Amino acid sequence: MTQMFKGVMQSPVTPLKDDFSPDPKTFEKLLDFHVRTGATAISWPHHKGESLNLTIDERKSLAEVAVKSVAKRVPVSIHVSALSVEDSVDLAKHAQQIGADAIIAITPYFWSPSMEGIFKHYVRLGQSVDIPMIAYNSPSYLEGIEFNGELITRLLEKLPNLIALKEASFNSEKFVEISRAALKVRPDFAIVAGVEFLAPSVPLGCVGSYSSAGGISPNLCTQLFDACMKGESEKARQLQFKLAQLWDLFRDQYPSSLKGGMVIMGRPVGPTRAPLPTATPERQAFIAQQLEELGILDTEPHGW
Amino acid sequence: MNTLIPGLVHTPVTPFTDDLKIDYACLEKLLEFHLRSGAEAIATPMHVAESVSLSDVEQRAHFDFVMKQVNGRVPVLAHVSDAATGVAASRADYAQSKGARAIICTTPYYWTPPAAMVHEHFAQVAKAAKIAFYVFYTPAEMSGTKLNTDLMLQLVNSSSNFAGLIDASMDWQFMINIISNVQRTRPEFQLLSGNEYMVSAGAVGAKSMLTPMAAIAPQLIKDFFSVCRTEKYFEARKMQEDIASLYQLLKHHGFASLKAAMHIMGRDCGIARPPLDPLSPESFNRLEKSLHGLSFLNREVKGW
Repeated sequence: MTQMFKGVMQSPVTPLKDDFSPDPKTFEKLLDFHVRTGATAISWPHHKGESLNLTIDERKSLAEVAVKSVAKRVPVSIHVSALSVEDSVDLAKHAQQIGADAIIAITPYFWSPSMEGIFKHYVRLGQSVDIPMIAYNSPSYLEGIEFNGELITRLLEKLPNLIALKEASFNSEKFVEISRAALKVRPDFAIVAGVEFLAPSVPLGCVGSYSSAGGISPNLCTQLFDACMKGESEKARQLQFKLAQLWDLFRDQYPSSLKGGMVIMGRPVGPTRAPLPTATPERQAFIAQQLEELGILDTEPHGW
Repeated sequence: MNTLIPGLVHTPVTPFTDDLKIDYACLEKLLEFHLRSGAEAIATPMHVAESVSLSDVEQRAHFDFVMKQVNGRVPVLAHVSDAATGVAASRADYAQSKGARAIICTTPYYWTPPAAMVHEHFAQVAKAAKIAFYVFYTPAEMSGTKLNTDLMLQLVNSSSNFAGLIDASMDWQFMINIISNVQRTRPEFQLLSGNEYMVSAGAVGAKSMLTPMAAIAPQLIKDFFSVCRTEKYFEARKMQEDIASLYQLLKHHGFASLKAAMHIMGRDCGIARPPLDPLSPESFNRLEKSLHGLSFLNREVKGW
């Protein structure tokens, strides 16, 4: 089976109007921007898309916009994680119904379930749909709740539609353990990095990443992935360092600063919903200065 | 300015006699084994050498012996960590006087001092030594005190002999953040991999690697490092996975398993000192069976 999810995949932010309501028209423009600038897939709404700050109805409505707007130009996966697993299952079924190519789901929020509990969670979600599923491992945000080799093995033996893992431990030991176990069961299983930590992961078999910076610097993201795939270590390292500086800039109150940066790049996407702050004019000015120093303003597209 | 690039750094265990005294006759054989097996430098006594189970007097005597035995054939890096800044500084001064080429120091044991005092700890040890000074970051073993880029930059400003960071966190974000930021201030600043997960560390800029497992699989480690040194990381992946399988096996059986594995490979160095327990006969048998199942060990030398 050919890997459906590889390369630098974009997970768009969620554009909001000044009154904090969803802005579907700008969302369409943003989706089109990502597809035109090299996204190999679209996945929405990740945490960067303020998933947990949207109502379930808003998520369904914008998911429909995403699928319709992308129109099969690249695969679209829908992030279905919600505080309540009941909502996750509902979102998963909706994603299938509207023609999404896959669903993606993180380990459960808030609770600290056992490995058996996590296993059952994914089995339930995976069996609730017929479309492919991507699992999402993010131990730094959900401390203590994470994948290991045994869990991924059990899941792959149980779920034929589990085709990929978004791996965001950013840790060599953990990555290798999951990768060794998963590829033993299914050699075409795709492991992709949570954000663009590609230089350390591609040599270990990572086939791509979701993107933190794609709304700002899609060219840089693509250049990094290409350098990694070609084994151009020194070039990859320097590009990775640059992207790491961007990640440091944007990870603070993610995605507030990212949305602030998109204003600088001529792609305003509105405020960020509470409890996250909206980037102030002062913060935007700081971001503008940083982007200029990094050469982003001269090398990346401005406007839509 | 430090010009030492340690390269492949073997970290020998400390052999003990049946009555748990340092077995110097065995240590002589062990050092010769490491030197014959590709060590480009020796770091001692690291945690793997049970440094914290050796008295201060023993550590100094042990270091004297190592220096005499190695006799300038490769650089020797002295690990001087302690709970007390004064003790670590004194040990560093001593190691320098005996010909150590560099000093290695972790965050203080037991205490969780404020960041300013962690800096003071490192700065005093660095000042006592004058030779190249490496900070050793091993958060899994040293819970409580975390390092960050700001602290490293402060140390760059305060300590002209601060040569680099030995990373055992295996955390890509941390490594990238440290090396990319600190090298802007001190271009010769080095990142060293604190264990055998060298593919990712090398890809983000590590040039040296500390290896306890060279005592088990020296040929594999030597071949692996040679490939990493040329930055052919795709080529190194299979070896990285083999090494990871050995690493996980030893981790599963606990600290005492390294010496048990050495015994199985025909290089008996006794057991670990209390409070560490030796492997039970059942665990030993399981470890032996598992090691025999690792086909890549067939090409490794048995005995001294």
